[in-house]
Amino acid sequence: MAEPYLVVEHLTKVYERGHVVALKDVSFEVQKGEFLVIIGLSGSGKSTLLRCINRLIEPTKGRIFIDGVEITRLSPRQMRRFRRKIGMIFQHFNLIKRATVMTNVLTGRLGYNPTWKTLLGLFPRSDRELALRNLERVGLLEKAYVRADELSGGQQQRVGIARALMQQPELLLADEPVSALDPATSHSVMQYIEQMNREDGVTVLASLHFLSLARRYGTRIIALKDGELVFDGAPEEIDDRKFKEIYGEEAEEVEIR
Amino acid sequence: MAPRYPEAFVHEKPEWTVWNRIADFLYFGLGNLRKHLSIALLDMGGIAILWILTSYVIIRLSTGEIGYTLVPWWAFGLGVAEAAALWESFGRSFGHRVARVELRRVDGGDPALHQRFAYWLLWHVSVLPLVGLLFSPPLHERASGLALRPFTMEGRTPKPWWRTSTGIYVAWLMGVALLAAISVTISWEDLVRLFTRAGTTAKFWRSFFSPDTSIILKTVRALIVTVFMAMTATAFAVMVAVPLSFLAARNLMRGLIGRSIYTVIRVTMSIIRSIEPVVWAIFFLVWVRVELAPFAGMLALFVHSVSDLTKLYAERLESIDPGLIEAITATGANRLQVLRYAVIPQIVNPYISFTLYRWDINIRMATVVGVVGGGGIGQALFFYLKGNLWTQAGTVMLFIIALVWAIDYLSARLRAKLA
Repeated sequence: MAEPYLVVEHLTKVYERGHVVALKDVSFEVQKGEFLVIIGLSGSGKSTLLRCINRLIEPTKGRIFIDGVEITRLSPRQMRRFRRKIGMIFQHFNLIKRATVMTNVLTGRLGYNPTWKTLLGLFPRSDRELALRNLERVGLLEKAYVRADELSGGQQQRVGIARALMQQPELLLADEPVSALDPATSHSVMQYIEQMNREDGVTVLASLHFLSLARRYGTRIIALKDGELVFDGAPEEIDDRKFKEIYGEEAEEVEIR
Repeated sequence: MAPRYPEAFVHEKPEWTVWNRIADFLYFGLGNLRKHLSIALLDMGGIAILWILTSYVIIRLSTGEIGYTLVPWWAFGLGVAEAAALWESFGRSFGHRVARVELRRVDGGDPALHQRFAYWLLWHVSVLPLVGLLFSPPLHERASGLALRPFTMEGRTPKPWWRTSTGIYVAWLMGVALLAAISVTISWEDLVRLFTRAGTTAKFWRSFFSPDTSIILKTVRALIVTVFMAMTATAFAVMVAVPLSFLAARNLMRGLIGRSIYTVIRVTMSIIRSIEPVVWAIFFLVWVRVELAPFAGMLALFVHSVSDLTKLYAERLESIDPGLIEAITATGANRLQVLRYAVIPQIVNPYISFTLYRWDINIRMATVVGVVGGGGIGQALFFYLKGNLWTQAGTVMLFIIALVWAIDYLSARLRAKLA
């Protein structure tokens, strides 16, 4: 087997206030090109795990390797450079609401351009062309100069995907990308992520609420419960008993088509 | 639930030789002392304040003099203590309320009148010399069969406020305080004048319909000076307040150094803000001894605006969405880029809106500041009023009303556009 792309070793995160343990000794490996889905109840540590991987949150203990680089030991400056290769999309899209879609997409190139130019809002022609290409890819070319808050939820998430595409990432972190969307829109957004995974070979780590979505898109599933890794395997391996273990005895599976 | 007194204190003499018993005695004894003293002091304080205010009103109404007490201090002290004892024994007093205890029978039942009377009598032999308190339970509690114990709302219907001693006390206190306030600020002669001498201002009101046209040019010039004062003050205040606001935002200033800078700026700003612009204007008039009065007025408005805007700006900064900061950071952007793409888009419009609002306030304030000599239209108004030039004063007022109304309307419209 090839060298794994992402290695998480004994990752632990303790929040200072209230001494809440968000992650307890989590370890797993991800191969290049995998579509890894993280499932678990709200508060089980999914978001914390994703944010530890690009160090938006500093892990308390443990090591993370991406492509052989131990990112938990990088300096803030090195980490900033490294983040360019890690795209991220969010549950609430986190777009600049007052700015145009184009500006939002271009922010994906901030790490590649000199600071003074970006402060004045100047991006090279090649970046602008790339932005339009990526917008076309997510089917929003005609919305390029519309204000972001005028778009629907699904469209806003697609802008988020285009922003991540601008980074030309090797790894995509998706923090509950479809939780704020309706079922039909969810599938369209998930398909764009799947497309990134298949066509561009981007390794994807996505946290999802619905098991049906996880089964449909994931090549592998890990499950967190109260910050601990309780399952790691293929989607088919999650049967009724496993499901109850992850979500608790009273849980009932909800289908989303 | 009966209080957990050590057996020895209830049934037999304390064994002074046993260290544990002594410690227990001190603990419970001092605990009781604290409880009884706090209730007695609260009640005595309350009654003393009430008595001082009452006697103040009586003296004011009967003699027209300002005085504070009708009785010598020792009689006053005795009376207050006695009133407190009566109040504590026969009602649920102020002190009982605050300490959250009440007078109940030891078995928890409602006390009978004769028991309350016994408690009141024994209050004198134990509370006043303070010795009885050191016993546990205190002597007067033991002898009367009543004890102070925490009250809860369970199982008892609350009385309406006018049937509780505290309610009556507070209502009486408020009534007396209001009477005292009225007697200081309003006199009968003033009221008579208010209703009979309205005619003296007739010229002033008439000028609203026939203004003095000869001073229009002068007034407009003063008006422009006022607007300019407000503009200069606002413009310079923005330049200072914008950078300061970043240092005064709790979410941006972390760590020991950050927090101390935050605290210093916030405290300074709130002190500056609590002093009115008029006071600042007088202060600057003395300080700079200006030939050109508007400069002092402008400085006063500037200082007040800086503190006000810093607070408004910083509060806006504190409520920005952290999600966007996360998203921009995740693209590999550095701090400046995060500021430009995640923070500034969220604050630009509110900042402009606050600035307009402050400019609007400054124009209104500029007229007031002018009255103390800060230049502009306020100074003109003051000049005419002082010289009994009612017609001219009315004319100036007309212009002030027009200006304030126009600016109000303009800034409201602009802010609605920005929202």
